[in-house]
Amino acid sequence: MDQPSALLIQQLNKSYQESDQQHVIFSGLQMQVSRGEFIVLLGRSGSGKSTFLNLVSGIDPPDSGKIIINGIDITALSEHDRTLFRRHHIGFVFQSYNLIPTLTVAENLLLPLELIKRLTRKDRDDVAELLDKLKLFERLDSYPDRLSGGEQQRVAIARALIHDPDVILADEPTGNLDLDTAEQVLELLDILVKKAGKTLIMATHSQEVIGKADRVFSIRNKSLHLE
Amino acid sequence: MNTILQRASRNFLWQHPWQLTLAILGIALGVAVVIAIDLAMESSLNSFKQASKAYSGTATHRIIASDGGLDEKLYTRLRVKQGITHLSALVTGYVKLAQTDAENFKLVGIDPFIEKSLHSGWQNGQKENFSPELLTRLMTEPNSILLSEKTAQRLQLHLNDKLSVVTVQGEQQLNIIGLLPGNDAVSEQVLAKLIITDIATAQEVLGLFGRLSSIEVGLVNDVSKTLAAIRSVLPGNVLLVSLDSQEQSLREMTRAFSINLKALGLLSLLIGIFLIYNTMTFLVMQRRRLIGSLRLLGVTRQQIFKLIIGEAFLLALIGTSIGIGLGVALGQGLLVLISGTINAIYFRIDSAPLMFTPMQIVKGMVLGLGATFLAVLLPAFEATRLSPVKVLARSQLEAGSRQLLKAVGLISFLLIAGGLSMALFSGKSINFGLASIFLILVGFGLLTPALTLLLMKFIEGFFGRFLGILRRLPVRMVSSEISRTGIAIAALMIAVSATIGMDLMIGSIRQTVAQWLHVSLPADLYISVPGDKVTANTALADHQLKEKIAHLDGVKMLSSVLQTKLFADGQLTKTSVYEINAKSKEGFIFKYKLDDGIWRRLENQQTVIVTEPYAYHRAIKIGQKILMKTDQGALGFEVIGISAEYSGDQGHLVMSRQNYLRYWPDLGYTGIGVYASAGADLKQLESRISQLLTAQQSVKSNVDIYNASMELFEQTFTITETLRWLSAAIAFVGVFSALMALQFERTRQLGILRAIGITSRQLTVLIISETGLMGLVAGLLAIPVGFIVAYVLIFVVYQRSFGWTMAFYFDSVVLYQGLALAFIAALLAGVFPALKMAQTHPAEALRSE
Repeated sequence: MDQPSALLIQQLNKSYQESDQQHVIFSGLQMQVSRGEFIVLLGRSGSGKSTFLNLVSGIDPPDSGKIIINGIDITALSEHDRTLFRRHHIGFVFQSYNLIPTLTVAENLLLPLELIKRLTRKDRDDVAELLDKLKLFERLDSYPDRLSGGEQQRVAIARALIHDPDVILADEPTGNLDLDTAEQVLELLDILVKKAGKTLIMATHSQEVIGKADRVFSIRNKSLHLE
Repeated sequence: MNTILQRASRNFLWQHPWQLTLAILGIALGVAVVIAIDLAMESSLNSFKQASKAYSGTATHRIIASDGGLDEKLYTRLRVKQGITHLSALVTGYVKLAQTDAENFKLVGIDPFIEKSLHSGWQNGQKENFSPELLTRLMTEPNSILLSEKTAQRLQLHLNDKLSVVTVQGEQQLNIIGLLPGNDAVSEQVLAKLIITDIATAQEVLGLFGRLSSIEVGLVNDVSKTLAAIRSVLPGNVLLVSLDSQEQSLREMTRAFSINLKALGLLSLLIGIFLIYNTMTFLVMQRRRLIGSLRLLGVTRQQIFKLIIGEAFLLALIGTSIGIGLGVALGQGLLVLISGTINAIYFRIDSAPLMFTPMQIVKGMVLGLGATFLAVLLPAFEATRLSPVKVLARSQLEAGSRQLLKAVGLISFLLIAGGLSMALFSGKSINFGLASIFLILVGFGLLTPALTLLLMKFIEGFFGRFLGILRRLPVRMVSSEISRTGIAIAALMIAVSATIGMDLMIGSIRQTVAQWLHVSLPADLYISVPGDKVTANTALADHQLKEKIAHLDGVKMLSSVLQTKLFADGQLTKTSVYEINAKSKEGFIFKYKLDDGIWRRLENQQTVIVTEPYAYHRAIKIGQKILMKTDQGALGFEVIGISAEYSGDQGHLVMSRQNYLRYWPDLGYTGIGVYASAGADLKQLESRISQLLTAQQSVKSNVDIYNASMELFEQTFTITETLRWLSAAIAFVGVFSALMALQFERTRQLGILRAIGITSRQLTVLIISETGLMGLVAGLLAIPVGFIVAYVLIFVVYQRSFGWTMAFYFDSVVLYQGLALAFIAALLAGVFPALKMAQTHPAEALRSE
């Protein structure tokens, strides 16, 4: 029996209502992503890259169509079940890091784990080990506002991976970083995501990233186009 | 430039209608409470003046006597022998309608022709309606009266109908020969509780044969000469007082009550200031990007400052206008409570229409605008300091706030120390006593954010290991956004500590009063003998009644009291004249230890006992002499004891009957105490005594009197309770507003939590846990602060206001209640913001800045 696709999108439609006007974002969107694939999404500002990631993560429900992740149609789930699905299967990396400012670096990493199971000593050790790998061990008990942008994004990547999700969604993760730091972050994603066999969908403008992707799509005219 | 600048800024306000509404509500409620108290208090006191004007007109002075009234011959003597023309005799008293239960009217007996010269309220502008014939009928027809048109309509009475009233003389029929239309709303309301008749009818109906209640004097020319002429013929127990000074003394009498109420109003305004501060800070901080951009475009700091102040002014104007309107409505409700308390504790006021003057609008405007300006000063200043190039992150702003907390901590210690010193070393000033409470409350309010941080640190350090990260998050959220949470906690803490303080104070007074009542009601049964004690006739009837009771089976012994008014140190003073027996001596609680010789001296020497409030307000010490007007001239009475009294704040004199009768006429009794023999059936005895009494007299057991007194006590604190809850309601709005602002500010953060898999229910629990925690902190901090407030209220403010010394009774229930109040209020205030945030779509939340 064939393994199901990591992500299958069928006839996806999404629009927003603004005052009296209906703005169509996607119309009849189709996509299939295999396990372990690295997909890059290109598109102008406002083309719908973030909306696409929100739809895939189940944060935003579509108007119609299906989004199937590892054989589960998340569009058929309730809002509550989509949240639980996201908790287990999706990792998120944002452009502006979006760490929880009231939690320390270690706690930011432990939170996704706590949401799916009871924390153990091993979890804490694993977090410490991961932070050590990221050269952030000394920042274990620091709060996010004490970290540089690059450091924060490294922590955000670690947070997206800590609970071993199937799909990682990254929304312009290097958009706020300088060239050197952006390169470090991409390298880290490459090591932690691709080598771990995770599916990565990244919205970006970075040419560096495009070179590393398995496939590159651009969003134009309300649909996806393979570059 | 400025118009677009203002539009850029104001558009933001319209986009946050919740915050805008809550800020306006905060200002409106604070102003409303202050205005309502002021209106109700002024109207109550003014009603006395208005009622007096209705039948005294332009009179400038009044001749009054101690209980016993004036001999009507004095009036003739002044008019005929002394040739003083601007005089009007009055006979006043209260009558009860026979048809309607418990409705009292003031019956005023006047000489309608003579009184006209004083332009009394009821006669002004009524020339067309009142022909000389009608006034002649009033004088010549027995039991003829004039009644207000409104009252007649309400009671469905018409011209020439009969009105049945009950007085000490029994039921009487009065004939309505004329109806009085009111000139305006005020006079209409005053007249609504008056029955006008001529002197002879009033004397007959009230049983005041040959006596007058007062003589009104209108002086315009030769004032000092006329006053001297009047004084030269006044007997020993009669006094000439100016109406202004009489009104002033009534105001003086209620000064403590008035100050305490106004302080409660200011407490509401203080909590309102926290609310306004919170909203304005939110509005400034939310616009830091906008303000930064404006600064980049060349808008100066002064322009930013003016912009914020201008906005606040607009909010204050709207809020204050609504507040004044609300205050009038609220004042109507408070008027009933305040008039009730004045009636119960101080003096009788008949009807109090709510009177609203332009001055009160100005006062409300100044308060509302002033309080808003004070609250907005700091946020406006902060706005000018925002960098044009760098928009500060929330965390950086919080770091700045923490620096500020250290400076504020120092100020708060100074305020608390200043408040405590003021409480201890400000002599007898009630204003300073209350100001000290405000300083203490503001001091602890400012200290609250720092104390909250410490508490959060402790909670996390102590319980952190048992909690998961998610459960630890509420603790972190409280401390990481202390600039926002701290204000809400402080406002709630102030309201709850004031509640705890007042509860402990009321509890202590209740216990003290209960103990005092237990001791001061030694007899088994008490007979009330009401009526104007004016003539030997009534005194004789009282003696006969006492004699009959003494001979009843089961009566062991009797005591008696005559509550009267005597001139002491130039003022008409309540005096209790006791016939004391061995048992009733135990009914006194003396403030200083005294030997047994006191009772012998009280009976045989020119001595008095004074009650504690009397001694406190006049700084009277044992051994001092009080100058009293007697029939034998002014005599000094030595104070030989100071006894406890909690029935009012003016105090009174206590004299033995034997001693009293040496200097004043026998006016009978107002009360008789019955001590039953051992084994006597009290119910049967009560029933036998009842059969001897007239309709106006009554007999009650000491238990019934105790219960009635305690009920009255509770009634007098209804106004305090009401105002306290109003303050709590404003604090609730404050917490609600702060939480709404807080949740709005962290929309994105909560969106991230949703993105990483926190369900909307978990988010709701998270936010409610945070607000519950805030309430708990406010409650915990409010306990010690409430204790301090109670201490200052009991030992400083109330002692200075009422002259009472009380014991501090600790009731742990009050503390739990305070804690529960803070916790529940915060939880309730958090429910809506929590639900709102939980319902916010995570995608939208992630998009927000």
